[in-house]
Amino acid sequence: MKNGAFLHTIVLFTILFGGAFTFWFARGNTALQLAIGVVTTIAYVAWGIIHHSLKGDLHRKVVIEYVLVGLIAIVLLTTLAL
Amino acid sequence: MRFFRILYHWLVPHEGNNHRAKALHHDALFAYVLLLCVFNLGIRYFHGKAPDVLGYAIDIRVEQLLAATNAQREAAGLPPLKLDNTLSAAAAAKASDMFAHNYWAHNSPLGKTPWDFIISSGYQYTLAGENLAKNFQTSDGVVSAWMNSPTHKANIVKSGYKDVGFAIVNGVLNGEETTLVVQMFGATNAAPVAQIPKAQAAAPAPVASPEVALEEPITVVPAEPAAINDEPKSEPAIALLPSFMSNTAFERVVASPKVNIPGLTNTMAIIVVGVLIGLLAVDAFVVSKHRVVRLTGHNMAHILFLGTIIVSGLMISRGSLI
Repeated sequence: MKNGAFLHTIVLFTILFGGAFTFWFARGNTALQLAIGVVTTIAYVAWGIIHHSLKGDLHRKVVIEYVLVGLIAIVLLTTLAL
Repeated sequence: MRFFRILYHWLVPHEGNNHRAKALHHDALFAYVLLLCVFNLGIRYFHGKAPDVLGYAIDIRVEQLLAATNAQREAAGLPPLKLDNTLSAAAAAKASDMFAHNYWAHNSPLGKTPWDFIISSGYQYTLAGENLAKNFQTSDGVVSAWMNSPTHKANIVKSGYKDVGFAIVNGVLNGEETTLVVQMFGATNAAPVAQIPKAQAAAPAPVASPEVALEEPITVVPAEPAAINDEPKSEPAIALLPSFMSNTAFERVVASPKVNIPGLTNTMAIIVVGVLIGLLAVDAFVVSKHRVVRLTGHNMAHILFLGTIIVSGLMISRGSLI
């Protein structure tokens, strides 16, 4: 399980650093940056579901929590793009 | 006392709130989504109704653009460019054409190239180039963005250019309020080779590709640079301008709304993410301390994710280049 947790953390960091780096790379193109933000959010929600599923504590409540946090992120990004 | 009990219930996980701060329950998270949507739509609405109250602070002036451009050339060991009225008139005509025909490109949908505007203005070029920018807030921001783009930087620090012209215009492009900056470079006594700037080559060309433009015959006029530069030959280009605009209207765009939208949205986003990260951190600490087992998401993952979103989001700039 320790190895599994380490792998999950590595995958999470890859998603987040990858998202932030491509976001920076797309500077000057707001539409592309928003698309990258949405893709990063979807990847994060997927990571959460897979992580909890492998941990054995996946529940509908957990999925809804990840989706709501993802929605907050997307609305924040569209607000910052105004 | 009751106030502190309510605060405790909302901020700290305990038995009474099912070991999860009430402010992190699903209904609370959903309320944040709705409130942020209302905030987002409210800004759009009030900006449309009262742009002088809620709008974009802009301060872009020709003299600042010229100084910043020449500072970059000086740093590169190049002589400064001279502000040329005919090139500025060409830039103004180009900006007007972009608003009139609603396009964001070097070549117009009708096939007009930047060189057409330069020739129409009366500037007989042997070497010319164009940089475009939109929706930046300051002159330094425009020039910094150009310098961060290798193709636009190549124009700014090209040794062959002698003259430069600018136009700064506010208008509506593709349904969006837009502050357009057109920078046109030229030389009248350089080697007789028409050179298409890389900045244009990289841009989408709706009609004429850069290769086509390269084949365009260039008339080389061995003119005295002083005769070209010192005489304001703006008549041909001014004829292309809308009647309500004068040439001076292209020299600056300055707007000072009471509330600057980027400042407001940045502040709001930082507060929302800061509060959420704080709540998640307190929640994680208390639950870990009391060794509570519960079914929730991973607090540290949420904190890292929201941190990434705010850092990335603050990188968003409305400004763009071609």
